[in-house]
Amino acid sequence: MAGRTQIPTKNSALIAMIADEDTVTGFLLAGVGNVDLRRKTNYLIVDSKTTVKAIEDAFKEFTAREDIAVVLISQYIASMIRFLVDSYNKPVPAILEIPSKDHPYDPAHDSVLSRVRYLFSAESVASGRR
Amino acid sequence: MEDDDRCSSSNPGGIGQEEEDEDGKVLRFLDSLDSYLTLLDALSSTLRQGWFELASARHSMGSSRISSVLLDQKVQSAATTFQVRKSIDGSPSESHPSFAISKWASSRNGKCSFRELEVSRVQKTSKNSELRHRGSSNFYEEHDLTINASSTISDSDVQKERSKSLSVFGTLVSPKLRGAQVSFETALDAIVEIANIRSSMLSAFTQLQQEMKKDLG
Repeated sequence: MAGRTQIPTKNSALIAMIADEDTVTGFLLAGVGNVDLRRKTNYLIVDSKTTVKAIEDAFKEFTAREDIAVVLISQYIASMIRFLVDSYNKPVPAILEIPSKDHPYDPAHDSVLSRVRYLFSAESVASGRR
Repeated sequence: MEDDDRCSSSNPGGIGQEEEDEDGKVLRFLDSLDSYLTLLDALSSTLRQGWFELASARHSMGSSRISSVLLDQKVQSAATTFQVRKSIDGSPSESHPSFAISKWASSRNGKCSFRELEVSRVQKTSKNSELRHRGSSNFYEEHDLTINASSTISDSDVQKERSKSLSVFGTLVSPKLRGAQVSFETALDAIVEIANIRSSMLSAFTQLQQEMKKDLG
């Protein structure tokens, strides 16, 4: 997958965020916030009123933008759009699932680890032994 | 025994070399996986500290002063950005993206000045064979992180950029808010590492998949 897809070279690419208010605020303090001329931001603050559709739209928008290198998404939010996150397979932007205040990181739900887990499954071991 | 001797004499290094390559790929994948989990653990710890400091700042400054409502909606460029390059392991078909961070970039008077930190991957393929344990706060001390810092701006410029970022929340801010800013900056360093390790892990996984298909087919 990584070898066949074109890897674009980017300078000054952004980091996008789909996370709760405190996480987004913290990263904005670190200087990653960007607002363009159309007033489009590189972040989405998710709270109890944010709909799944809004999260999906933000994810699709950030992964389609060429000026974004990494998309940070809280793992509990990624679980709301799990199908979309798991079916994403481009090398850039990279999707990183991060913990949130109320939901610690769970390796069992990480989409990258789910993808590689099959290497350790009984089926793959059995097929290797045949 | 005699069959083995005949086999080894007719194909002295070929099969052995292939097995070594495959073992190398497996090791590379497992090491990337281990580094990925360790880095996520370190990131969790750094983020927890950042959230705690943010909560402390909110407590001392008031919750209305630290709120997403205050976040600037006016046009602004990110001061901290990423660079993406193509990294090649072995053959050109095994390329994967490599990420670097550029912190507190600023354009003043048409000139671009920046501090660039390139954090190389923790997992070196060759030399470092020390055992790793899953500590979080001591992670950066224990590992061979190569940081090439070519700072072409002064620390005062960095402080100005930091203050600009803090000024969204008022002129006088709590030291806890400054502490939170530093914690989240540290978290960004971990994120660059995680992005690179993730990329390397997926590349190693793809190679292993191809090997397995070759063996089965």
